[in-house]
Amino acid sequence: MTDTPLDFGDPADLDRLRRDFRAWLAGHPLPERRPDEPLPVFLHRWHRQLHSGGWVGLDVPERYGGRGLSALHQVAISDELGACHAPGIPRIGYLAHALMEFAGEDQRRRWLPRMLAGDDVWCQGFSEPGAGSDLAGMSTLATRHDGHYSVRGQKLWTSYAQYSGLCLLLARTDRGAPAHRSITAFALPLDRPGVTVRPLRAMNGDDEFCELFLDDVRIEESERIGAEGDGWPLAMTTVSYERNALDTGHISKYGLLVERLRRVARDRRGELPDGLLSEIGRCFVDYEVLVAHARRRTAERLGGQAAGPESSIDKLLMTRTEQRLYETALKVFPGELHEEGGELFGDYLYSRAASVYGGTSQIQRNIIAKRVLHLPSLSKPPNPGAT
Amino acid sequence: MEAEEFLLVRDLFRSFAGRFRIGSADEVKPSPRAAAQRALAELGLGELRRSSPPAATVQECALLAEEHGRQPLTTSLLGTVLLAPELLRVLGAGRRSDSGTTATVALARDLRFPRADTSELVAWDCEGADSALCVTPDGAVTQAELGPLAPSADLLRGIRTVRSPQRIIGRLDAPGHQHWQAYALVMVSGELVGAAREFVELSVGYARERRQYGQAIGEFQAVQHLLADATVALEACVSATRYAAWCLDNEPPERALTAARVAKAEVNRSTVEAVQAGMQVFGGIAQTWEHIAHLYLRKVLLGATVLATTADLLVPLAEPEVTR
Ligand SMILES: Cc1cc2nc3c(=O)[nH]c(=O)nc-3n(C[C@H](O)[C@H](O)[C@H](O)COP(=O)(O)OP(=O)(O)OC[C@H]3O[C@@H](n4cnc5c(N)ncnc54)[C@H](O)[C@@H]3O)c2cc1C
Repeated sequence: MTDTPLDFGDPADLDRLRRDFRAWLAGHPLPERRPDEPLPVFLHRWHRQLHSGGWVGLDVPERYGGRGLSALHQVAISDELGACHAPGIPRIGYLAHALMEFAGEDQRRRWLPRMLAGDDVWCQGFSEPGAGSDLAGMSTLATRHDGHYSVRGQKLWTSYAQYSGLCLLLARTDRGAPAHRSITAFALPLDRPGVTVRPLRAMNGDDEFCELFLDDVRIEESERIGAEGDGWPLAMTTVSYERNALDTGHISKYGLLVERLRRVARDRRGELPDGLLSEIGRCFVDYEVLVAHARRRTAERLGGQAAGPESSIDKLLMTRTEQRLYETALKVFPGELHEEGGELFGDYLYSRAASVYGGTSQIQRNIIAKRVLHLPSLSKPPNPGAT
Repeated sequence: MEAEEFLLVRDLFRSFAGRFRIGSADEVKPSPRAAAQRALAELGLGELRRSSPPAATVQECALLAEEHGRQPLTTSLLGTVLLAPELLRVLGAGRRSDSGTTATVALARDLRFPRADTSELVAWDCEGADSALCVTPDGAVTQAELGPLAPSADLLRGIRTVRSPQRIIGRLDAPGHQHWQAYALVMVSGELVGAAREFVELSVGYARERRQYGQAIGEFQAVQHLLADATVALEACVSATRYAAWCLDNEPPERALTAARVAKAEVNRSTVEAVQAGMQVFGGIAQTWEHIAHLYLRKVLLGATVLATTADLLVPLAEPEVTR
């Protein structure tokens, strides 16, 4: 695929879109975050505002509430948001892709427009206490009854479940069949009887992720996504898009910090310790390479390539960028280490999770080895992480 | 070029590369080397950007540079076919070097872009060349004759000294100078990416075949992760180089130059890492003179110093562009 020229888009067309967006933004600036307003709540308000201007889901077909444009257009808007120091587009692209690929037509029409509008906030209930990297080992069980399922089990690390209305839930529908054919996906409304959401405190003090207890929760058959057993391929699609640099708002956030470091490099040139200047240069290179990489993926996707195992490469590049960036930022602003609740220090702590969430860096390497490079599987002991 | 046309050119080039690639360092010899260079000249790729507008995009040229880097070839594609002709093109419509001569580019003795003092230059990638073009920091372009061969760690690439005096043949304006630097950085990066890519692919193939402890070494997770990391490093280089090439075709030269510097900085680090990882996978065999591993290692190692070293790039890139 990458042996032939790539089309990174028509700059004039994208410029027009950027200009329209900037004009809209001038009239609809980023709102103030209220004191004590949790970040997800604030971001949700921002999401709705962006949606009201038609700036969410540009690459989603119109019949599902999007604008039917290309991923290039969506990326251009992300760039603009970054450039004006605003938080990125809400991270829904990867969930939307999973629904577009696996949900029935009426489900898509029911859920996608509401997801784009922010009327429904979704979370992702995949991981369990006993099933992290080895996701296929999950034990939450959905037992089929007449026209509905009854679900029992526990999920862990469900990000922002406390702010969500719906959960994309994976559960086992068949205890006998091999793991990859016995997992089914559901859209679970979190206000159902039997659901308990318990937030867990992250090391940076945020309530990001939750425990989810499911105590004989009733899920209707119409809330099943795809067929029984489709849960595994759906999960793989979701994580592929989740790992892809394009579908996350991270890039613009990195860009802002890189620019901040570069301004310090210029203003405090003589004072910075030896080597720190080149570390900042390295952060800029990492960031620009990541942007170029995201554009290349967009170009490939427009050329008809779906997100697949190569998105593990994207995830590792993203992790490399983020972790080095925050490590460097702490060296440039050492005062952050001596402040209570410093924002940058909090972000540094969160950057450590980049090599864990969405599949750990080791699991990404396993995937690249097996599914991109097609290296053989270990013949003797059972092969971990080969999924 | 149309897509099919490009594929034709590329396939033509691939069959050339397949015929003239060498199997080991012992095959680096003057007369086969000259024959290979003649065959390359006959492909006529130097004409690709001579028409106006150029028939080939920068991205297409970068892809050819990548193809050239993939095989152990002793030919000068970058110097004589891509860089010197582009420099003459940017200098002025239709200009060629003195009739009947083939030019390559002159670089500082340490292979970086020439600096103010041009008394000690080398003609880089000089196979088949009889003169060298030097771009001074203020944009003046000079031409000079070549002297004797100069030693170099890269066995595949010819380097010669440059004789004085140099004649001024023109001057680049500021955008032209930026374009030229960006173009040169992108082509060198492209060739190094090709080399590292090929070598990693070879080592992946080897990991599938070579057996120890009764199984393929590619089954061991330690080996898998080594190759996965090399792949990530390489893909970063591919993305950065392709994007910088596209910028040269579509964006103002100043932006393209930043993208090209970013690409070279990534390539300087990552292609060396990737080749070293590949060599580790080959084990002892890759430590021998006969094996092609060191041809690739030498190419990327020296390549990382060509035009701009990591140190040259990172410090300026640490500060915002003045004009932003
Ligand atoms: C901030 C954050 C947000 C998250 N959000 C969500 C969410 O919204 N929804 C959701 O479902 N999950 C979420 N997760 C969970 C995340 O996907 C898991 O934490 C991750 O997959 C790892 O699982 P684990 O924590 O059980 O670690 P384990 O799987 O126990 O891994 C522990 C260590 O062993 C290594 N290891 C395990 N298996 C292998 C192997 N085969 N080869 C080599 N090394 C191996 C790992 O790399 C790791 O270093 C989130 C996690 C974090 C940190």
